[in-house]
This record gives sequence, C-alpha cells and structure tokens, in this order.
Amino acid sequence: MTIHNLDFLMDLCASGRKMTIAVACPYGDDALAAVCAARDRNLVNSVLVGDAEKIRVLAEKDGLSLDGIEIVDEKTDYLAVEKSVKMVSGGDADLLMKGLVKTATLLKSVLNKEWGLRAGSLLSHLFLQEITVMGGRIFGLTDGGMNMYPDLQTKVGIIENAVECYHKIGVACPMIAALAAVEVVNPDMACTLDAAALAKMSDRGQIKGCVVDGPFALDNAVSEEAAKTKGIRSPVAGNADILLVPNIECGNLVGKVMTYLAKERGAGVVLGARKPIVLTSRFDSMETKLLSIALGAVVAR
Amino acid sequence: MEQIRTLSALLEYAKKIGKEQGPKTVSVAMAEDAGLISALEEARAAGFANSILVGNGAKIKAAAEQAGVDLANYKVIDESNEGQMGMKSVALVSSGEADIYMKGQIHTNNFLRAMLNKEVGLRSGKNTISHCYFHTVEGFDHVFFIADAAFNMYPDLAAKADILQNTVNLARAFGVVEPKVAVLAAVEVVNPDMPCTLDAAALTQMNRRGQIKNCIVDGPFALDNAVSEESAKTKGIVSPVAGHADVMIVPNIDAGNMMVKALVYFSKNETAGLILGATAPVVLTSRADSPRAKLLSVAAAVALSAFQKK
Repeated sequence: MTIHNLDFLMDLCASGRKMTIAVACPYGDDALAAVCAARDRNLVNSVLVGDAEKIRVLAEKDGLSLDGIEIVDEKTDYLAVEKSVKMVSGGDADLLMKGLVKTATLLKSVLNKEWGLRAGSLLSHLFLQEITVMGGRIFGLTDGGMNMYPDLQTKVGIIENAVECYHKIGVACPMIAALAAVEVVNPDMACTLDAAALAKMSDRGQIKGCVVDGPFALDNAVSEEAAKTKGIRSPVAGNADILLVPNIECGNLVGKVMTYLAKERGAGVVLGARKPIVLTSRFDSMETKLLSIALGAVVAR
Repeated sequence: MEQIRTLSALLEYAKKIGKEQGPKTVSVAMAEDAGLISALEEARAAGFANSILVGNGAKIKAAAEQAGVDLANYKVIDESNEGQMGMKSVALVSSGEADIYMKGQIHTNNFLRAMLNKEVGLRSGKNTISHCYFHTVEGFDHVFFIADAAFNMYPDLAAKADILQNTVNLARAFGVVEPKVAVLAAVEVVNPDMPCTLDAAALTQMNRRGQIKNCIVDGPFALDNAVSEESAKTKGIVSPVAGHADVMIVPNIDAGNMMVKALVYFSKNETAGLILGATAPVVLTSRADSPRAKLLSVAAAVALSAFQKK
C-alpha cells in the first residue's frame, strides 16, 4: 500500500502532542510565512531565534502577524544558531529549523560535542515528494545530500534513519528500492553491488522494519508495468516507498527533477540527530516548508 | 531553419525534409514487431522515411499483418540468423544504400556489435559513440538534450568532451544555432572531493579555448540553476547558460539514468532517444517504448542525417 497526498502530514501533526520548533535566522524566503501558517493551523509552537528587529520588519513587510510566536533576540547568525541548537538540546524546543543561514554553520553547531544534537548515529536527509502525474503518490528520496559518496555501512545507516521516520508517519513496513542505472548486478557498476548486499542484509534481518530490494532502475522501482516488462519479481518492484540513491549526484538530480521540472511539493527533514532538523532550501515553496515543519514535528515525538 | 521546440514540430520538420530532399532510408535489424512496423509505416506515410526490414521473413510478414501494414511498400531481406541480421542491416547503411541504422527485436549486444564492426560498421575514427535522450517538459519552451544516460557508464574527461560534441550536433540539427550546454553535478561550485565538478570546469575551459566548438559550455551546475533563471540568480551565478540550458551533460550512467527516468515518470513530458557519434544516425529504442517514441526517434535521425549531409 503506497501512500498518497502529503496533506496527511498536517493532520497527523495537528492531532498529536504539540511540539515546539526553534527556527534559526528566519529571515525571508517564505520561512516566516511558513512558521505563521504552521501557527494558524495549530501545528507547532514556534520560537524564532535571530535579530528581533529584523524579524519584525520582515513580518510587517509581508503583512504577517507574529501573535503567539516567541522571539529570542540574537543579533548575529552564529549566536542565533548556537542558541537555537541549545534550546533543542536543553529541552526547551523539540525540533530545529534552518532559516536563512548557511547549512554548514547550522551543522557545525548541531555536531558540537558539548551542547549539540549528536546521537551517535549518522545524519541523513530524507525528502518526501508528492508526484501529481502518479495520482499524488509519495516517494521518499534519501540521502538528499548529507552524505556525498556513502559506502555500504553508511547506506545501512541512511536506510535505518528513513525507516524510523516512515514508522512515525504510519508506514509500518516501507518498501525500499536501492537504485542504480540497471536492475541487474553488474560487477563494473559499484552501486549495483551495494544494492545486492543491502537486499541480502534485509533478507537476513540485518536491516529491520522494512523490505529492501535492489538494484532497481528508477522505472521498475516506481512502475509495476515497467517491472513486469523486465520480468522482475519483487514486493518492492513498482511499489517502492523509499528510493535510496547511490550518491549525491543521483540524489540531487532526481530531487531537482521533481522540484524544478515536475514542480512538485515535498517535505524534507534531516534525521539521525537527537531531534529532527527541518532543513529546506531557500528555493522551496512556502507549502514545502510548511509540510516540512509538520513532518519534523511528527518525527520529533 | 527555425528552432524545433516541441516534438510535434520535430515531426513537421522531418516531413519538410522528406518533401524537399526525399525520404531517408532506415535499415531495421530484426523488424519483427507490430508496434515497430506501425511506427515505420507512420514515418513512411508522413513521407520522411522508407524502411528496409531485415529479419525472419515469415515473422516480419506476421507482424505486418498484425499491424495492418501492406509490405508492398517495403524491401524485406529474409535473414534468420540474429548475428547476420545486424551485419546485413548495418552494411546497408555503411554502403550508402540506407541512411539510418535502427534496432528492432534484435538483442542489443548483437545490434551494437554490428554497429562497431570494423569492416561493415559505423565507426568514425576514435570518436566516442554516445546516447542522447531528448525531452520536452511541460512549462519549458524548448527541447532538453540529456547525455549520456544510457551508453557510456563512467566516462572520463576525453569521453565527456566527445559526448558533449555529439550531443551539440544533434541540438544543432534541431535548429539550435549555438546550443547552451550545462555540465551537471550536485553543486554549482568546484569541489575537489567531487570529481564531476572538476570535469565540468575542464569542459568549460576546453570550450573557451576552442577545443569544443559550436556551443557555449558552462559548469558545474546543479540542475536547478541550469534550468531556472531565478534559481541561478539567487545563487549569484552569472553565465549565459544558467537558466537556459539546452544540453545537459550528466556525470555518469547512474545519475543520468535516474534523472531521465524521474523526468519520464514524475513529470508531464515527451521523451525519445538516439545514438550519436557513428558515421550515421542510429536508433536504439527498447521494447517498452511506445510506437510514438519510436516514430520520434526516427524523425530525429532524419533531422540529424539531413544535418550531417549538409
């Protein structure tokens, strides 16, 4: 049973315990608008950490009311990031969101040994994307860019993070397709070997709570008809929930086809830290940012 | 000529070539499938391609009957050995009797082996043979050419330069006077830890020094800044290619194949493909392709053949 329509994330988020989100440097590019929309839908409590004056001016300019939203005044980006991370690690907030600040700056704080959000596991990015031409079917794409060229063990960590997230959003046994350019094992194509190893680790229970199969070319992972034409028999073929990409180039290109060529909405979150991190790009739409907040809040529970 | 911006315009252009220069001749290896024969019949009726069907005569006849196509308009060469089918079809092209080499039901290995055969094949010096997908996507007003997502697995810089030049030639055959070429990576900055960003920088420079011609190359680009002007602007990228890429060169088969398949399955698009870099256009479609995709590939081959003979 594949999942459809990302609106369920908002319902799921609104129906549970209300989480508090700390937003570092929420300056523009729809971040503020998304936080206000999340408030209006009663999804989360928000704390904006940054230059208070700047935040108020931006809100006024965009005609946004900041009622019910807490502001913590920190003038510099560096201190705003540190403060917001400390709020999450100290328990004053349940999840973190990146505003208009460099990802590297945020991650440096997140990985701080004393007051950061390290949990001893691997950090990875998961993006849920809704595909209109497939009836709103949702695909999870991972890793979207935290790990450049993951080895087999790293790929296991990426899968584990994604599986935990899928369990939280109500998918008990996600189908995971390890992607390559082809659906056969080819000794000259390293990612097909990793895919075969991951499939076997899934068979042997070394990877739990999901079914992993591969290698798949993207078509036979997402389309039952394409899988049939190739004669592939697998519960994952055509039914993939999560697309595991071999490296950052693949993840970036597939993700951007979805966002820029198919113009779809999605929800993205960084997993594997003690609390989820909502890390959207400045080009993501307001709706994608709002859905990402909802996803992050559900994962934070 | 006017730039071809939709794949329907490509068909119109092929028809125009047929009218002005006469139809091109397609040599089809193992033409034993009804869907394929109906695509070939459509190309014939539109006046841009006649076909020579090589394969088992009885099977060709049965497929034509199933497609409701009269074989009186076709030359059929009866050959039942699959290896020989490839050799005979490709020899028709290298001898000049046919203009385009096309794959039917023949196994890809046999088809390509014939294409690369030193005596009767279509090799052109040391040039790399490459594949190109061409796409139209809803919301964009021109054709995207993506290479190489199918033929070369992990091309090095020299092979990428060939792939790039092959693809630029196809874009020019589509009337793109000076194609804008984006060399894709995951990021738009040079990063020593990401080899494809280094290749992208080198290809850009090879273009500036005149080693790659008839186009404007830039890279590395992430896909967004190659296709979206707004995104390029936000990132502060100043380049004539940013936001306007016609041609996109992918780092390797894994990234290219996933990207193309995401396009095909996740967006509203039309897609077909062609093999480039041989002495004549080569059409390699898969059995899963629709007759329309096969027809579009033949039309592109006709356009390329006309361009190469200019």
